[in-house]
Amino acid sequence: MKTRDRILETSLALFNAEGEAHTTTIDIANEMDISPGNLYYHFKGKDQIIAELFQQYELALGSTLTAPIEQPLSAGKGQVENNWYYLYVVMEEMYQYRFLYYNLDDILQRYPDIRKSFKRLIQLKRASLFAICQNLLQQEIIAARDQQLLGLVDNMTLTLTFWFNYDQLLHDNRAPEVTIHQGVLQLLTMVAPYLGDNELSFYRDCETIYTNLLQDVG
Amino acid sequence: MSDEKSKVTDKASEIAKNIWLAGVGAYGKAVDEAQGRLERAMEPPKLFRDLVKAGSALEEDARGALEASAAAKTSVEQRINRVRENFHMQRPARIEDIAALQKKVEQLSRKVDKLARALAEKTPAEKTPGRRRAAVAKVPSRKTAAKTSRKKTKPGRGKNT
Repeated sequence: MKTRDRILETSLALFNAEGEAHTTTIDIANEMDISPGNLYYHFKGKDQIIAELFQQYELALGSTLTAPIEQPLSAGKGQVENNWYYLYVVMEEMYQYRFLYYNLDDILQRYPDIRKSFKRLIQLKRASLFAICQNLLQQEIIAARDQQLLGLVDNMTLTLTFWFNYDQLLHDNRAPEVTIHQGVLQLLTMVAPYLGDNELSFYRDCETIYTNLLQDVG
Repeated sequence: MSDEKSKVTDKASEIAKNIWLAGVGAYGKAVDEAQGRLERAMEPPKLFRDLVKAGSALEEDARGALEASAAAKTSVEQRINRVRENFHMQRPARIEDIAALQKKVEQLSRKVDKLARALAEKTPAEKTPGRRRAAVAKVPSRKTAAKTSRKKTKPGRGKNT
C-alpha cells in the first residue's frame, strides 16, 4: 500500500478510536512509524487529511444512497427484506467513518466545505429513505400516506444520521454489531406500526438477534 | 503543446515587429521590455505543462471516482446479499429452514443410494455394509461428514432422517 493511502487509513482508525479532536498529525506519524516530515510531504496538515477522508466517505455513501433511488431494492413480495438489509449496508458504511458523527457539530463548524457536502448527504439519505418507503407503499407493504409518510422518512433520516452519536453518548463504546443492529432495529421500529403481520416476522427476528447479541456481549 | 509553442513564437515575432514599428529611438528600451515579455511569454508552456499535468490527474481522479461509484452500485446488491446470509445465520431457525434442510438431506440420500446401487452392480460379491461405506466415501467430503455423523446416530437409516 502507498504511504499516502496508509496515512489515510491510519488516520481514519485513530479518529474513530480516539476521536478526531484528540488526534494530531504527530500521533498519526507515530502510529505509522514514519517521520512527521514524511507525513507532511503527503499532507500539509490534519485539515487536508480530514477533507480527503470526507471525500472518500461522500463518494462511498453517496453511491450507496443513490441505489434505491435509481432502482427499487425489492421488486416482488418475497424481496421486501432487501430493504431492511439495505439499512444494514448503509449503517455499516457510516460506521466506518463514525468519527464524523461523534464530533459532528465541531467538524462542520471548522470545515465549511464539509458542511455543504454533509448537508447534501443528509438530503440524499432522506431521498433514499423516501424512495424505499414509496416503493413499499406501492407494493402495499406499508400503509402510510402523505404527511405520515414524510414524517416517517424524516424520523428515519434523523435516527440514521445521529444514531452513532446517541449510541456513543449513552453506552460509550459498544461492540459494533450491537450498535449497528440496534440502529437498524430502531429504524424498523418506526416502520413497524405501518407493516402488516407478515412483514412483522422480520422485525421479530431482529428483536431476537438483538437479545442474543446483548447476551453474547454481556 | 507544439501549437502553444508556435503561438508563443508568433507572439515573440509580433513583439519584435512592434519594436520595429516603435522606431529606432525607443529601440533599446523596447528590446529590454521585449526580452522581459519574451521571458514571460516563455513561461506559459511550463504553466501549461503543469495545467495539463494537473488536468490529467484530475481526469484520472474523476475516472477513478466514476469507476468507484459504478463498483459501489453493483456492490450494494452484493452487500445486501452478504447481510442477508449473515442475518440468516443469526436469526432463529424457522420451519421453512428446517423443511429446506430436510429436502437437501433427502436429495443427498438419493444420490448416495444411487451411487451405492451403481457400486453394487460393479462388485456384486461384496457385502452390503462395505458397499454402503464405499459409496459414502465417494460423496464430497463436506457432505460425507454430515452423512457419517448422521449414520452414527441412526445407523442403517439413509432415507428418512
